[in-house]
Amino acid sequence: MSELELRYVITVHRDESVRHCIQQMRSYGLGCVVVVGEKNITVGKFTERLLIPLLLSGESLDVPVAKHMSTDWGTVSTEDPIANVIEQMESKKLRFVIVVNSKGQPVGLTGQKGVAEYIAEHFPRRVKVQESQATKIFLDHREGA
Amino acid sequence: MRRRRRSVDDSDFQDPLKNYETPAYNDDLDRSLMEGEIRDIKITPFTAVLPETTIQEAITEMRDSSIACLLIARDGKLLGIFSVRDVLNRVVDNYDRIMNDPVSDVMTPNPTAVYRTDSPAKALNLMADSGFRHLPILNVDEKVVGILGPRRVTSYLRKFLPD
Repeated sequence: MSELELRYVITVHRDESVRHCIQQMRSYGLGCVVVVGEKNITVGKFTERLLIPLLLSGESLDVPVAKHMSTDWGTVSTEDPIANVIEQMESKKLRFVIVVNSKGQPVGLTGQKGVAEYIAEHFPRRVKVQESQATKIFLDHREGA
Repeated sequence: MRRRRRSVDDSDFQDPLKNYETPAYNDDLDRSLMEGEIRDIKITPFTAVLPETTIQEAITEMRDSSIACLLIARDGKLLGIFSVRDVLNRVVDNYDRIMNDPVSDVMTPNPTAVYRTDSPAKALNLMADSGFRHLPILNVDEKVVGILGPRRVTSYLRKFLPD
């Protein structure tokens, strides 16, 4: 995990509103906030994906996030190998995994994009040199018979 | 008049590939990044809607299909992409006012796409460096054939990672 660049973790208290979480996610450009309770211990997460059922329910955005947070999250320790991150994401179908210290307090966030960045960083000769746009193969203009 | 046959002198021939070096790969992951193709990855089935679909209908489709991203297309031609990030940034504050507006008003138009025959390295580059979470996949006729998310890419590459 020490080789993985962790994302800043936004923590919000369980009594904060959904609207506050939305503002936090938007200002940090992240799709997830970690919801904490007493002593800063993780009690859930709220992701941008949870906005979909919330909007369709017609409920106010000013309700406490605890009402709409997900209590199914994955955690890895800062000492764990990267394979554990991938394992957690695959087995629980998660986009984000919370990185916690020995006291269970969140210290960072990583996920599918973090793993993709890790592989890209370790194979710069292959990945970094790619054009930033998709390439079209011109099969209809190929040369020869 | 008889034409004299010209003898072939080996020194005239120049092999255009004489300086070509076969790529050397460090391991299977290295090789798969370059020699694999996006179509080797299990591509997620995609859901597409027309641009005139209302925002409410689009969001309902995302909920019912348990997906985080919708493609906006007409006759197979990709016009845009609408994801949960668009919901966060463009919809959630004004949902009651714009729910009956067309999804084309809030989609990301002309999204970057990849072709089925592009390498996994290209998909990784677009995801890791350019920050695209979902990449529509096109065939040679420019028609949408799938969508690629980071989970599929990491799952595909995982089998090449050391334990």
